[in-house]
Amino acid sequence: MSVAIQAGQGRTETRIRADRHNLVVFMFVGPALLYLLAFAIYPLIYSLRLSFTDLTAADGTGTWIGLHNYHDLLFDSQFWNASMNSAIMLIATVSLQLVLGTILALFFNLQLKGSWIVRGILVLPMLITPIVVGVMWRALLNPDWGLVNWAIAAIGLTPPNWLGSTEWAMRTLILVDTWQWTPFVFIIVYARLQTLPQEVFEAAQVDGSGYFATLWHVTLPLLAPALLFAAIFRAVDGFRSFDLIYGLSYGGPARTTTTLAFFSFQNGFQFQNYGYAAAVAYMMLLVLMIGTTVLLRYAPLRPGRVR
Amino acid sequence: MRNPVGRFIAYIVLILLGMVGAAPFLYLLVLSSKRRIEILTQVPPHLTFDWSTISRTYNEVLYSQGMLAFTKNSLIVVGAATFIALIIGTPAAYGFSRLRFRGDESLINTILSMRFMPPIAVAIPLYLMVKGVGLQDSYPGLILPYVAFSLPLIIWILIGFFDEVPRELDDAAMVDGCTRIGVLWRVMLPVMRPGLVTAALFAAIFIWNEFLVALYVIDSRAFQTISLGAATLVSAQRPIDWNIAAAVGVVTVIPILIFSLLVQRYIVRGLTAGAVK
Repeated sequence: MSVAIQAGQGRTETRIRADRHNLVVFMFVGPALLYLLAFAIYPLIYSLRLSFTDLTAADGTGTWIGLHNYHDLLFDSQFWNASMNSAIMLIATVSLQLVLGTILALFFNLQLKGSWIVRGILVLPMLITPIVVGVMWRALLNPDWGLVNWAIAAIGLTPPNWLGSTEWAMRTLILVDTWQWTPFVFIIVYARLQTLPQEVFEAAQVDGSGYFATLWHVTLPLLAPALLFAAIFRAVDGFRSFDLIYGLSYGGPARTTTTLAFFSFQNGFQFQNYGYAAAVAYMMLLVLMIGTTVLLRYAPLRPGRVR
Repeated sequence: MRNPVGRFIAYIVLILLGMVGAAPFLYLLVLSSKRRIEILTQVPPHLTFDWSTISRTYNEVLYSQGMLAFTKNSLIVVGAATFIALIIGTPAAYGFSRLRFRGDESLINTILSMRFMPPIAVAIPLYLMVKGVGLQDSYPGLILPYVAFSLPLIIWILIGFFDEVPRELDDAAMVDGCTRIGVLWRVMLPVMRPGLVTAALFAAIFIWNEFLVALYVIDSRAFQTISLGAATLVSAQRPIDWNIAAAVGVVTVIPILIFSLLVQRYIVRGLTAGAVK
């Protein structure tokens, strides 16, 4: 009898404790969840609904047109042009920045005196307003009086028409993005390099392997997780950003620098075609969702976490 | 590196790298000190400074073009949004770091993946929502969306910092009779200062640079933020006076440069947040 009562009390106590635990959890994470539900998840769903309408800024209501926008997209050569540009930009910037960033990290790993000053300088480009980066480089690359063209002419070469030619505009965009974001890869890889045990390298040296052999067989494999992390971040941020393009080339000339993000921005803001812009954005989200799912599977965001 | 020739070359490379990083900023600074005509005729620009030209250009940019007012608007919006996001985000990050509950892992992943969300996917709905409650052309109309943008970033950075604080600290405080909230407030906040500064720094810079939502929400010049102001003044769409454009650029980035030099040691921590240790 008393045993049964005790057992009953035990169960109630467990339930009370569970309730209190849930209350505590809710007090801590509840506000952030509710906020994100209202101002991030809901807008995302809203955006999906918009993509099924023909809403424009001029016409306030917009009617349901089903998959019409998506159908139009698939036959819109400008959409495919933008997709192609995004793909080119991503592949070029990510691979360039990975290679250059790793070289920088290895170079700074020499631990030269005073190198912290240069490291401090190199961090700055990624913090500053992308539009200003665009303007800055439009000045540097100005065909008539820009510093870069003057320098190239001074050593006897002919500078290309950086932003004015369809052949060069995308390359220029890639170069400027690389100037701004290579330091990101560098910082990530350098941080990883600092944590690697020196014995591994010493052991390789003792075994008589040269610098490049050690680099290829020992260092790079150990850096792989950091490189993957940096690559994913650069890919996603490059994919979704449009403001550098806004400041640098405004998608031109002849749409050669119009990426998907800029294409969606133009449809939404300039042409005020909200439904179509939302459909483009959702195509991007689709790519990102597939991307992040793969990311979460193969590269957990919070490695080494003890729970 | 022991080889003196190698050392010498390495230092040359180091100096060149510093120049590649810094020269564009300095060039912008020099251009902003020149008269319009000098930019076109002096190639490269001479390093002579004419203070009356400089003061005329910056007066024009700060007052006539309104960059000073835009700076004030940005400071208000950045300050309020960062503060609110920290108040909401810090307990959430603590909760995700310490408390276990059903579905916690997938919830964390959902929130963290919001860091990857393209702003263009939500800018129009956010604008329509803000407009729906009559908040276009107002500070709250910007602050509400910006808190949502910075929350995932802040939670992301702070979880990393909380994970590094030993759990024994919580347990000891709770044995002494502290509640969870007491632990967060009295025990965690003091040791989390670097984390809070880092999170605030990155949220603030993100909001300072954001201009897409502002482009939609803000119509009147009175509420323009600095990056929106800069974007409209120096857009690649239209011909510009380069001395003015350069000064607009300088005014836009100088606060970021000063701010990030003051808290320099936190920048690397923020950039590597979530990276493999």
